Amino acid sequence: MTQWSDLPGYVSERASADMATVTIERERIREACEYARDRLGFDMCVDVVATDYLEWGGKGVSGYIGTATGRDLNKPMTEGLQVLPELKPKRFSISYHLLGLRQGAPRVRLQCWAEDGESVPSVVSVWPTCDWHERETFDLMGIVFDGHPNLERLLMPEDWEGHPLRKDYPLGGEPVRFSDAE
Amino acid sequence: MADDEPKPVTRLRDYGLQSERLLWPTKGPSQFEESLGVDELERALGLTTLEKAVRWAQTKSMWPDTFGLACCAIEMMSIVSSRYDLARFGMEAFRSSPRQADLLIVSGRVAHKMAEPLRQIYDQMLEPKWVIAMGVCASSGGMFNNYTILQGVDRIVPVDIYIPFCPPRPEALMEGIIRLHEAHLAGIPPAYERNGVAT
Amino acid sequence: MATVVDKTQIYEGTRIPERVPTILDLPPELRDSEDVLQVNFGPNHPSTHGVLRLIVDLHGEEVVGASAVIGYLHTGFEKTMESKTYWKCVTYPERIDYVGYQNNELVFVLAVEQLLEMNVPMKATWMRMLLCELNRIHSHLIYLGTSALELGAISMFWYCFRERETILDLFELVTGQRMHTRYFQVGGLAEDIPSGFYPECRKFVEWMPHALDDYRGLLDKNQIWLERTVGVGKLSAADAIALGQTGPNLRASGVDWDLRRDQPYLHYDQVDFRVPVYPNGDVYDRYRVRMDEMLESNRIVRQCLDRLERMEGMPWIADDRKVVLPPREELHTSMESLIHHFKIVTEGFRVPAGEIYVAIESPRGESGCYLVSDGGPKPWRVHFRAPSFVALEATATCLRDTYVADLIAVVGSLDAVMGDTDR
Repeated sequence: MTQWSDLPGYVSERASADMATVTIERERIREACEYARDRLGFDMCVDVVATDYLEWGGKGVSGYIGTATGRDLNKPMTEGLQVLPELKPKRFSISYHLLGLRQGAPRVRLQCWAEDGESVPSVVSVWPTCDWHERETFDLMGIVFDGHPNLERLLMPEDWEGHPLRKDYPLGGEPVRFSDAE
Repeated sequence: MADDEPKPVTRLRDYGLQSERLLWPTKGPSQFEESLGVDELERALGLTTLEKAVRWAQTKSMWPDTFGLACCAIEMMSIVSSRYDLARFGMEAFRSSPRQADLLIVSGRVAHKMAEPLRQIYDQMLEPKWVIAMGVCASSGGMFNNYTILQGVDRIVPVDIYIPFCPPRPEALMEGIIRLHEAHLAGIPPAYERNGVAT
Repeated sequence: MATVVDKTQIYEGTRIPERVPTILDLPPELRDSEDVLQVNFGPNHPSTHGVLRLIVDLHGEEVVGASAVIGYLHTGFEKTMESKTYWKCVTYPERIDYVGYQNNELVFVLAVEQLLEMNVPMKATWMRMLLCELNRIHSHLIYLGTSALELGAISMFWYCFRERETILDLFELVTGQRMHTRYFQVGGLAEDIPSGFYPECRKFVEWMPHALDDYRGLLDKNQIWLERTVGVGKLSAADAIALGQTGPNLRASGVDWDLRRDQPYLHYDQVDFRVPVYPNGDVYDRYRVRMDEMLESNRIVRQCLDRLERMEGMPWIADDRKVVLPPREELHTSMESLIHHFKIVTEGFRVPAGEIYVAIESPRGESGCYLVSDGGPKPWRVHFRAPSFVALEATATCLRDTYVADLIAVVGSLDAVMGDTDR
């Protein structure tokens, strides 16, 4: 079993069905990635994803949730009360999905949290593939990566204003009558 | 009695065309006429107007421009393949240069970043030129009603034919192309003469 | 913004450009030279790869600088899917990688099913495997047809599309649509497999190796093809791993890694297939990897057919009425079914809160879906890991020391689909 607490900047960990999620301090994410690459053998960074948790938990979710085995009548889910999802520490989470190219395909998700305006150290020097992933995250979410050699917009036109994937950016498009989607 | 009379032969002068023999009475029939037989000249010629002849020629070799954007481009490539053979319409020569192309088949979703190159390509084409909006994304934005997809390519270029479906079957695209041919043969002018760009 | 620019060179002997890994910079001796011409391979160009823009600097015929500009097909899938219920969301992933469409559907549906912890019936998983392998053959045929077309072997286009039409006929038989089939549902398949599919599929499976022999006969030992592809666009194994390449691009560079074998999903651990790996990392090896993969996919389809023919009458979708629509006959008799149908259609089924990343081996490489759910009927965040996005990051490295005529060969061999790149 890998000792995730050896990673520099380790804060906490959480296991889930697909892979372990290890939370790292934002300022030390580059050291943690280097440690993961060199000492723990995660040769490849598969993906860098940022998620915006603005207004997370604002809408209560109640009622039964689909499960494979159906609802247990003796344990109804909410009994009419709102169940709010657990709160998140900051607005943005940036997840680095890592993969080890060996038997068993070990994967891990290193996650760090940032507020709007806080910058994250860039890991381009650890895995060059993160160049475009970080550019895309900057373009669509507005998270600035310190030390990135070429932090320009990638997918949107260069003169676009705003960061489209943020929760406070509207979906856009034109209004369609008699449609429930905004 | 009516059956015994031979059908009256229409002569060129009935159409207002003066053959040179009328203007030069002493000239005999030309070699061309002799090889055909003088009396049969009218039966050996087809008469049409210049516009109709030009339209017929334009329809039979309307070369598309390689403007494949997304999924519809794959179906556009398959009409060139042997099952749906576009070469029987004279259109298998997809020109890469818009200067040599007549038809712009906008196949796929147009992002705002792509709208400017699309308009540049359209402007570079020489008249007469036609535009087919292939698929729902090009016709109206399709299933993508968001910040980045142009809601219908007719906002920036005048469109002649809209083809729905996502993606259109090759037969649907052929139907669109054939209707464009028929419309052009019937004399309908290309879209830029009829209407401008949609607002 | 950026404070300190770090050196990106991570090891000796790398061909990845130093300053920015994805931009090939002019060498210092040519910076002020007047012989360097900057050419724009604009978004609309003769090669059939879609809207990729390459800005290349040419010194005579040699490529000395290259950078790729993407984003001309950015569709905003991720943002759009956040506003649709999970049922409606399944139509969107297909259009991302529009050549290997069922693989994208599969990865999204697998992610939702894993968050729901649903058990999917066996018939559905075997059929999903069959269709995804057929889709792999379809994708490689398009790669082969278009790459060969661009390098001048024009007749390959017609041969490959002839086989492609047969595969699309099979898809139409099963799902009703040629492309963008929307056949995979959360819980299984949308409908039962129609009768008559298995004999037709067998006919195709018996014919396919002969077609592959035809293609090999045309290209494998063809002197022109060899001269244009051998030694061109080299990508070493370490560079490929550093650049995050997966799929045929990685296997052609000598790294033996295939998610179907190493992290099996669906029933890949119960079928027998080989994983082709070639050492050189040039265009020719990528071509060979894809040709071999078509043959292996054919074998997998045959094995799936053997299993599926024995599964007549078994359920094709899970029985969980909270997620899956009830069969139409029940709506006339059962009140609960009517209520479930109503709730699922109007509000959508709710997926428990959590985050998950699921990866499969699509024809282009590792295709992944990262899904964050807040417990509601609409996804909170969906992100697709696009293998073509990562493949295009390797253009700068592969274009080192090539001529302009090799540019198209290299970009074609990376097999990037622009819908997948720009999402």
